[in-house]
Amino acid sequence: MMTDAGSLAMPQRTVPHAVQETSPPVVSNTRLAMLVVIAAESMLFAGLIGTYLVFRLSRTWPPPDLPRLPLALTAANSILLFASLVPMTRALRAVRRDDRATLVRALELTALMGAFFLVVQGFEWVRLVRHGLTLGGSMYGATFYVLIGCHAAHVLAAVVWLTVTAFLARRGAFRATRHGALEMCGIYWYFVCALWVILFPLVYVY
Amino acid sequence: MPTNDARPTALPPGRLAVCAALVTLLPASRVLAQSCAMCASSFGQNDPMTRAFSWSILFLMATPYTIVGVVGAFLFFMHRRAPGRRRATIIDLARASRLLRRPAPAEDSGGDVA
Repeated sequence: MMTDAGSLAMPQRTVPHAVQETSPPVVSNTRLAMLVVIAAESMLFAGLIGTYLVFRLSRTWPPPDLPRLPLALTAANSILLFASLVPMTRALRAVRRDDRATLVRALELTALMGAFFLVVQGFEWVRLVRHGLTLGGSMYGATFYVLIGCHAAHVLAAVVWLTVTAFLARRGAFRATRHGALEMCGIYWYFVCALWVILFPLVYVY
Repeated sequence: MPTNDARPTALPPGRLAVCAALVTLLPASRVLAQSCAMCASSFGQNDPMTRAFSWSILFLMATPYTIVGVVGAFLFFMHRRAPGRRRATIIDLARASRLLRRPAPAEDSGGDVA
């Protein structure tokens, strides 16, 4: 039986090249880096919350001889922190419209609200220390100051970042097509506020 | 005279199976299953510290999976929602395999999978 060479040859296959090398990445490198940072920060807070849970669930909490945490003041302060998400969102929308005036104003307002949150926290801490709740005095004080203090340190870092970003925005550093640094700052601020959604009920309410 | 032949001698399959079973079953013995000396002996059955450690460990165990899941889901949905991207390149494997089975065209048109 005669067979031609073509029928014996391996069938040719088209090699797909589905991914174009020139296409931009779906998630930019800065956003990816920010995701990694936030994941690492989340694990830091997970460890602290785990420590807090051990002490919280294993003994009478709060100890009877120590002052109670100021719930009403902190609740009002929390509302202020969550309200700061509104100007942050406005800032992100303004930069996409190239609206520099609104951008600067919204960023400064966000930084101001964050700073006010920190001032109220500091005021609350001073009162608690005067009433005998200190870092080294009891496990209650230690877990409270470490957990809430760690969050306050993150808020402080975010406020500094916001201030620098507002300064850069005032100088016209951001455009509708180029505002990656501002977006990263916004993501970090959202993260800091999202953390407080977990920490406030856990430490103050539960 | 000793030889320098460094070839490892392979265990017979039967002996290998016994070793694998021992390695698997040994940690399940009652003494070793007590995860640590503190948890096993320091606290009683109804000690609140045991419950506290249990909840804390469960929380810490769940957190990495939650974070990785959320980040993974975010990346997946960003990839799906991106303009100019086609779903076939991600999930439509059946169509891709159909295209691969198709006979070659006369001239390479540089076509895409999708």
